[in-house]
Amino acid sequence: MTMQGIDKSFPGVHALDHVNLELKKGEVHALMGENGAGKSTLMKVLTGIYIKDEGTITYEGKEAEFSNPKDAQEAGIVIVHQELNMMGHLTVAQNIFIGREIMKGKMIDDAQMNIEAKKLFDMLHIDIDPTEKMSKLTVGKQQMCEIAKAISHKAKVIVFDEPSAALTEEEIAQLFKIIRDLREKQLGIIYISHRMDEIKVITDRVTVMRDGGYVGTLVTKDCTKDDIINMMVGRVIYEEPKTKSMVKPGAPVVLKVDHLKAGKMVQDVSFELHRGEILGFSGLMGAGRTETARALFGADPKEAGEVYVNGEKVDIKSPIDAVKYGIGYLSEDRKRFGIVTAKSVAENTTLACLDDYMSGIFIDKKKENEISQKFVDDLSTKTPSVDQQVVNLSGGNQQKVVIAKWLCKNCDILIFDEPTRGIDVGAKSEIYHLMSELAASGKSIIMISSEMAEILRMSDRVVIMCEGKKTGEIGIEEATQEKIMQAATLRN
Amino acid sequence: MDKFKNSSFVKKVGFNRVVLFGVLILMYVVFAMLAPTFLQYSRILSALNYAYFLGFLAFGVTFVIATGGIDFSIGPVMFAAALISGQLLTQSKLPLVLCFLISILVGLVFGALNGYLVAYWGLPSFITSMASMQIAKGLGSVFTKTQSVSWPQSDAANGWYRYLVRVDVGSVGIPVGLIILIVAAVIFSTILTKTKVGRYICCLGSNKEATRLSGVDVKKYEMIAYIICGLCAGIAAIFYVGAYTTVQPGLGDTYNNEAIASCVMGGTSMSGGLASILGSFIGTMVIALIQEGILAMGFQKDYQYVITGIILLFAVYADIRSRRRKN
Repeated sequence: MTMQGIDKSFPGVHALDHVNLELKKGEVHALMGENGAGKSTLMKVLTGIYIKDEGTITYEGKEAEFSNPKDAQEAGIVIVHQELNMMGHLTVAQNIFIGREIMKGKMIDDAQMNIEAKKLFDMLHIDIDPTEKMSKLTVGKQQMCEIAKAISHKAKVIVFDEPSAALTEEEIAQLFKIIRDLREKQLGIIYISHRMDEIKVITDRVTVMRDGGYVGTLVTKDCTKDDIINMMVGRVIYEEPKTKSMVKPGAPVVLKVDHLKAGKMVQDVSFELHRGEILGFSGLMGAGRTETARALFGADPKEAGEVYVNGEKVDIKSPIDAVKYGIGYLSEDRKRFGIVTAKSVAENTTLACLDDYMSGIFIDKKKENEISQKFVDDLSTKTPSVDQQVVNLSGGNQQKVVIAKWLCKNCDILIFDEPTRGIDVGAKSEIYHLMSELAASGKSIIMISSEMAEILRMSDRVVIMCEGKKTGEIGIEEATQEKIMQAATLRN
Repeated sequence: MDKFKNSSFVKKVGFNRVVLFGVLILMYVVFAMLAPTFLQYSRILSALNYAYFLGFLAFGVTFVIATGGIDFSIGPVMFAAALISGQLLTQSKLPLVLCFLISILVGLVFGALNGYLVAYWGLPSFITSMASMQIAKGLGSVFTKTQSVSWPQSDAANGWYRYLVRVDVGSVGIPVGLIILIVAAVIFSTILTKTKVGRYICCLGSNKEATRLSGVDVKKYEMIAYIICGLCAGIAAIFYVGAYTTVQPGLGDTYNNEAIASCVMGGTSMSGGLASILGSFIGTMVIALIQEGILAMGFQKDYQYVITGIILLFAVYADIRSRRRKN
């Protein structure tokens, strides 16, 4: 199978720029790239979820056109998703044969499906009881059921989208055994992963993508980890990266987090934040950065660890406490966690500090409108009036309303989680400008970002996380894309 | 049309409310043409009798719907309150004012129960209020040993409470209850739009997680909404007996739907966040007018259930459609 010159645009985004990918029979082919490099989009084109704008897919010697996922599936191209699509209440066999149940007259023949499922598992040397409820299985076992399902579809090409992310060492070993087995059977396998070590172990060739473009293809055993990292980050010159920390020497520590633990995604994270500092949090998807911020903010329960604000130990059990100690959190998901969409700009602005805008038991609407108007002017938020419903504003302006909410509360510690996600370029630089101003005025900022350019441009110091652990901390003076990526893929 | 929609008055009151008020007037005209007796003053008083208790129920449930929840217990809770306090008045001979306070207390207890279970235990409001509806129905019956309770007539001892509903000056009945209902509407509307409680209730109804992450104690304010609703059910009981005297155990659930229909018609969104007491007020008047109109035309009350059901479906459909267009 080959994909040649695949091009795909979405409104405002050129997601794939003439990408090539070649997969041979009996090959395990790694597909790598940073977050947003276009790996998933490419796979969606391959499996018929997106329709390509340009380019050709040649499959088994013939040009193929998959206009929907069913076409691709029938042709034998199947994807095993990162998040499994399983029905927990049904048995393993019922899940595998969903949508094409074996029938006996008008009735579903569960017994026969169990037998067929067992045959599949035996072929793959997997030990799973087909009559077990799906929800009872571990994530690893569930994934193997997905693979069995793929095989039962007579798959010839299987795409694994970060299959190992949720697996234990043992399960990964078993997964690799199965993948090698499939390779023996002359299937083509595309393996998407961020884990450099795995790529070296299991794959034959590596294709690297960057910013929607094709970078190159290497034979795995002839290249080093560094070669791949270099290809992933490229030599792109980003806009004015920061070269030196803007934090005043001897600035006091305003926030200290000590051995924070909260579930699998936050394991023993410690860091310090100084006054006037922008502390970048870098890492790949699922590194546990957002989870760290949420646990710190009291949005999710934490298991262990201490938090100090201005040197004083504080017990943050809920966002109510966090806000009291002057911490504000701008979520990565504005729509869900940031704005109250059906309410006005003014109502959103004072949401965290309504107590300051009361006269007696009544809300002082005049005062509320005044302060909201002041923030609209200060942040140059584009809105016809402060009575406008936030849902009618653009992404960048919604973000400004959320920022106004925390400034209005006069928070000294601000957590910006992906502050520019889904925001256009112009608004982006305004937000950057604003963050720099805030830091200069003595506010301290934690900035979580998946964009390398953003991290290098804004941060005074960078903390890097990988799989729930802190794997690096670099001052901006020494920080390079390579070093950060190195730490972000460090698995221990 | 657009000019009308954008005029400052319509914007302030809400387009929906203006239309609904038009519907109210239109319905009055239609009923007057279909049933000649409908124009009699006594018909208006009779319709208003229905509107008083229903109005309080609707005001209360407006707060709960604003949180994105629902309360199906208000009708039976109102009945339980009226039965328990009526039994204490007529059998145990407790003072009337104390009985009114007990009625309100019964409402508050049910509201607090619903609110606590929904806000702090995270139970779905639908099921929770269904369950407390059953409890309220049963409790009222048990308390009166399945006997109905008759509150005193206006000329009997302790009968003065009926002046809360109607005072006769000469041969003309003055609808005092309407004045009280309007005052209550102003108070509840102020709570909803001008106080912290109302603001937080609407915000958490629109986006609970964002409100929580802004440092608002969302559980507390969600519970408060149900308490207000319970309080209103307790007050509604007083106006129910003020108009109808006799309360039978095991009933009351039909008023849930009518109160909820009043809210939704008035522009309170079932998905939470948007609420209007004025809308609920006009909605209540529409329902009261329908029930009186059907009686005036000589039909049984069962027809009213059919019509209220259909109205509720239409109101919810309109609510969902207007939101879909926005997204």
